[in-house]
Amino acid sequence: MKNDFRLQYPLWMMGFIVVLGMFAYGISSPVTEIVNTDTEQSIMIELEPVAGFIVVGTVVLYVAMLATFIFQLLRHNRKNPTQKVSPFSIRPLEYLEQDEGMTYITRKASQKVYTFMSWSLPLLAVFAMVTPLPRLFIVWGILLVALIQYVIYYVEIRKHFKEEVE
Amino acid sequence: MLKNRVKELRARYGLTQSDLGKQVDVTRQTIAFIEKGEFSPSITLALKLAKSLQTNVNELFWLEEDGNEK
Repeated sequence: MKNDFRLQYPLWMMGFIVVLGMFAYGISSPVTEIVNTDTEQSIMIELEPVAGFIVVGTVVLYVAMLATFIFQLLRHNRKNPTQKVSPFSIRPLEYLEQDEGMTYITRKASQKVYTFMSWSLPLLAVFAMVTPLPRLFIVWGILLVALIQYVIYYVEIRKHFKEEVE
Repeated sequence: MLKNRVKELRARYGLTQSDLGKQVDVTRQTIAFIEKGEFSPSITLALKLAKSLQTNVNELFWLEEDGNEK
């Protein structure tokens, strides 16, 4: 159970969010030049060497992680034909609901996440409105909230699986 | 607080958490949660557990209040 894909799913999401945050940094720092005259119309986007490296590196990393993620998901479905998960499901994949005990801990973890989201999102919205922050920081703020929600969920679920004794 | 004798009776009949879980159609983890007192089972599950452990629900589960033990 400890190696159940659904238990590891929040870790995957945290990883994807971190890579996305790095990617956001890479694409938010290009030099953009727009030429719009009678004789010439052009848009030039030039990535700085470091930013370019980050963009390419994070895309490669993201694709590699995605391939591994899909492999793990397919392996889980092969090993657990009665508890298959679909990447296209609207319901979060990390939900454990195979019996009432699992549903109980999922509900407890979800309640903690909901509590966090109920104040963090409005706070972030107010923060974004009243502070003249660059767009990158707003994006990072949203990603940070998303990251923390997975941390809360993962820590709560792991707590229940910590002392497993037969 | 809901107390129980699931672990004690399970050991008496030489059952593992997995064995008992299979008998009552829940995961091993759910049996572990019940034994640790982290989770109070539904009436249906309590009845199934009592049947598997050859006892009745009153003997298997009880409420403990302010230090009054059964």
